[in-house]
Amino acid sequence: MTTLEEYLKDRREQEWRVELRKKLKGKERTDIPRVHMPEVDPNERVKYQNMEVNTGLSKEQAIVEASRCMDCANPTCMEGCPVQINIPEFIKNIERNEFGEAAATLKQTSALPAVCGRVCPQEKQCEEKCFYKTKLNKEAVAIGYLERFAADWERESGSISIPECAPSNGIKVATIGSGPSSLSFAGDMIKLGYDVTVFEALHEIGGVLKYGIPEFRLPNSIVDTELENMKQMGVKFEKNFIVGRTASFDQLKEDGFKGFFVGSGAGLPRFMNIPGENYNGIMSSNEYLTRVNLMNASSDEFDTPVLKGKNVAVIGGGNTAMDSVRTAKRLGAERAMIVYRRSRAEMPARVEEVKHAIEEGIEFINLANPLEYYADETGRVNKMRLQHMELGEPDASGRRKPVEVEGLESEIDVDLVVVAVGVSPNPLIPACLPDLKVSKWGTIEVGENMQSSIPVIFAGGDIVRGGATVILAMGDGRNAAKSMHEYLSENN
Amino acid sequence: MNRIVEKEFFSKNVVKLVVEAPMIAKSRKPGNFIILRVSENGERIPLTIAGADEQKGTITIIAQTVGVSTEKLAKMNVGDSLHDLVGPLGKATEIHNVGTILACGGGVGIAPLLPIIEGFKKAGNRVISVLAARSKDLIILEDEVRKWSDEVIIMTDDGSHGKKGLVTQGAEEVILREKVDECIAIGPAIMMKFTSLLTKKYNIPTQASLNALMVDGTGMCGACRVTVGGKTKFTCVDGPEFDAHQIDFDEMMMRLGGYKKEEKADMEQYMSK
Amino acid sequence: MANLTTRFFGLDLKSPIIIGSSGLTSSVEKIKMLEKFGAGAVVLKSVFEEEIYAEFEDEFNKQSIGYANQEYLDYFDYEIKNDKVKHYLQLISEAKSSGVKIPIVASINCTSGSDWAFFARKLASAGVDALELNLFVMPSDVERDALAVRNYYFNTIKKVMTEVSIPVAIKISSYFSDLSLMIKDLSETGVAGITLFNRFYNVDIDIDTKELVPAKILSYPFEYLESLRWIGITSPIAKCDLAASTGIQDYQTAIKMLMAGASAVQVVSGVYKHGYDFIEEMNKSISKWMDANNYENLNDLIGVASSKSVKNPTLYQRVQFMKHFGGFTGSEEE
Repeated sequence: MTTLEEYLKDRREQEWRVELRKKLKGKERTDIPRVHMPEVDPNERVKYQNMEVNTGLSKEQAIVEASRCMDCANPTCMEGCPVQINIPEFIKNIERNEFGEAAATLKQTSALPAVCGRVCPQEKQCEEKCFYKTKLNKEAVAIGYLERFAADWERESGSISIPECAPSNGIKVATIGSGPSSLSFAGDMIKLGYDVTVFEALHEIGGVLKYGIPEFRLPNSIVDTELENMKQMGVKFEKNFIVGRTASFDQLKEDGFKGFFVGSGAGLPRFMNIPGENYNGIMSSNEYLTRVNLMNASSDEFDTPVLKGKNVAVIGGGNTAMDSVRTAKRLGAERAMIVYRRSRAEMPARVEEVKHAIEEGIEFINLANPLEYYADETGRVNKMRLQHMELGEPDASGRRKPVEVEGLESEIDVDLVVVAVGVSPNPLIPACLPDLKVSKWGTIEVGENMQSSIPVIFAGGDIVRGGATVILAMGDGRNAAKSMHEYLSENN
Repeated sequence: MNRIVEKEFFSKNVVKLVVEAPMIAKSRKPGNFIILRVSENGERIPLTIAGADEQKGTITIIAQTVGVSTEKLAKMNVGDSLHDLVGPLGKATEIHNVGTILACGGGVGIAPLLPIIEGFKKAGNRVISVLAARSKDLIILEDEVRKWSDEVIIMTDDGSHGKKGLVTQGAEEVILREKVDECIAIGPAIMMKFTSLLTKKYNIPTQASLNALMVDGTGMCGACRVTVGGKTKFTCVDGPEFDAHQIDFDEMMMRLGGYKKEEKADMEQYMSK
Repeated sequence: MANLTTRFFGLDLKSPIIIGSSGLTSSVEKIKMLEKFGAGAVVLKSVFEEEIYAEFEDEFNKQSIGYANQEYLDYFDYEIKNDKVKHYLQLISEAKSSGVKIPIVASINCTSGSDWAFFARKLASAGVDALELNLFVMPSDVERDALAVRNYYFNTIKKVMTEVSIPVAIKISSYFSDLSLMIKDLSETGVAGITLFNRFYNVDIDIDTKELVPAKILSYPFEYLESLRWIGITSPIAKCDLAASTGIQDYQTAIKMLMAGASAVQVVSGVYKHGYDFIEEMNKSISKWMDANNYENLNDLIGVASSKSVKNPTLYQRVQFMKHFGGFTGSEEE
């Protein structure tokens, strides 16, 4: 059994890669500047909820960008990847015009590369460790853009390789939730020959990929294509099914399910509990994004309404806050504001999202925190009072702690407020399984193999980690599939 | 899936539908509700389960047409299928033998009250039901309620059926003449508020079933949040029933009006088609 | 039989023995016991903004996976804050619904204005009978002068009083260069009482490791002397009730404080050292002493030895040891 290192070395020594490395000199590669992702003009794109901002690299752009990659003997980029995608191999396949091979390489490790290429914080993962960045102090190879390119090419070419599945073993397994961790788990289990059913409480499959991330960042059609592939492989999807309510775990066991993967996510909204927070026009980011992304509330053709505001404030600094404020802009806000208690540089959102937001005219009110909301006589919010902050000593996160400047307060007019201060683990499953070991904050406790305190129940993604990245959730799904397969093989 | 097998209009604006939903019929308990979508573009709307037949695998829902979605629902026919149906949601009613139950139902609130009345009667309680509505044709399920009540008092605003007056008058009559151990009130928010104020006067523990605006119904969005005893609760997972004396009804009613403008515009657009 | 009723926190108390903010009041059972053994009121353990922040840092360190869940943990202090409030709300409502009749007072200690307001509001809405603001600024910051500190005290009191309608009392330290004036001015803000003085967590040095370690936690009895002096000096000029705290571990000390002008005393270490009986003993002994000395009501006792009442009030202000005013004879009994 080869170690990863030996495996990578072997792959690197394949003739085609050796030849490819010889094609260009080192300096010819490093002289090429990093590609710019073509984007829709900001003034145009703010008119449409469903228009993807990044339009994708062209073939030529992708090949040139791929040629920047040095195919390092020690690919540090892989250290930055939470699931260790064979980055040099997929990039070199792009360079040699083998896009299908590139996609296949990605799919060996990542279930949804078209998704990750769009939503991973590459600037903190693979690209941060790229040779260009660490050794040459230049912009990294655009690994994320290339991943997206390969996945999109495969999808658009219509020639998606459906991986081979082992013969059916007749063992029924279930996932609870249909987000990235569950889909990843399902994809692996079906390949291993299991009879897989994905149970989803909502009326659409995809979890946070559908209800949370807006169209202008991750089109739902991309998720749907992946789902179609999974259906073709034999994965069954049950919508409008709440495990624990519609049917209990015991009933499912009676129906023959032998293993369960809980990927129910972090879908519990958080509020700050400050005065006035229950006025009309103040909602959680979950509510706002679900109305727009899942229920298409921005379109007249769909019945679900969404409140629109002229002066919209979004409280928070992460990707959810960015998604919310940019949605508000697209829905016609004159002022779409971010209210964040730290500085702009300290916002946890993806760098690209902040950049796009600035281009779109989002106002950033940093070092400010809401104190109270006020409303008109109908109970609709019309004003908020802010406490202004300054940066103090660094806290545990290494960032300087926001400290109140005594007496420095201000008021702004708002008619819509979205509270995007984070989400907590969904409590439904822990509530119906009293024996399940759950942390104080609602996360399901699992071992390194993703197995919970109930042996037939495994879990991964945000329900285990608290809100974290899509790629980590997918890694958990794969991990759990491997472990459950081992467990079920031993215990049958 | 989710096929309508029976349809009946109780009045111009109140419709009863019996829908195929074997899993929900089996796992539901009194107090639970469902969320449905009429079509692919439809809204998710909550409706209480008024009854279920586990043998036939069906559930009964009763809806009042108050907006676009309920109008569309009322236009569906036997044989049509609901696009989406999920449940059972919410916490089940706590049913125990306490003695005498005073059940107050206002208008279409009588529908969710019925399974609760049945539950309490089966548990051995004495059940006195006060049904109230504006006029005779808005009093629904009278026969079904009679089946599970020791006494039924009907109150109508215009006196066209039963006694003339509000639900609180009927309720107070009962309270003054006999010991009431617990009260359940379901109906329009204002009706529940005043019923609750009445029972608070007499120190009668009271549960109210709230009808907050919802989107997902599974605890994900917080649209249905209410303040109960100073704490924020979600109607869809902590409720829909709460200790009525602790509910901030004024805030709840304010929140119910949060989309009035949008709902009115949608209705106008729908009616004009 | 002597009447031990008194008034503090803007409330009528059946005994002048108040259980101070500590772990003694951390559960419903404990509060009921304290009531059973005769406490006049209980002060719950302080909600510390600093502690909440420290817990946040702990949770952060436990849960952080770097950038990957930074968004999830970014406002996690609110989760901890709200969780702590939930805990207090539950304690208070359970205590009240289980029949506790004596006043339950919540104590808060914050540094930021918004947190003072937040906790005051939440605890008041939970049904506590009064709030005690554990107001203290450690004058170790060379950037912050006396005026800034003074303003902070008054601004905080004002801010909290606009948030709640229940009585707001304060507990302070003696770290003021204008202590008398401070107490006088503070008493005129409308606070329902001032408790002198907050007892500090003290620091000690381990000479073997050269490290700082916590000093002995429970108070020594003699520590009552500072509170006694200042109650004596300021009770005639304070516009609100005063209570004494620190080192009150026998009935004589309690009586001294009342005589100096305090309306009530706060005890903690006495109960830790001697158990619940301590409270009963205190009440009994004070009562017995009052009977023996012809005091019918506790009120009659309050202030009889304050700086206004005694023959030689300037003694309250004496700090220097001078032969003229009595010196050390070499055989002092400790």
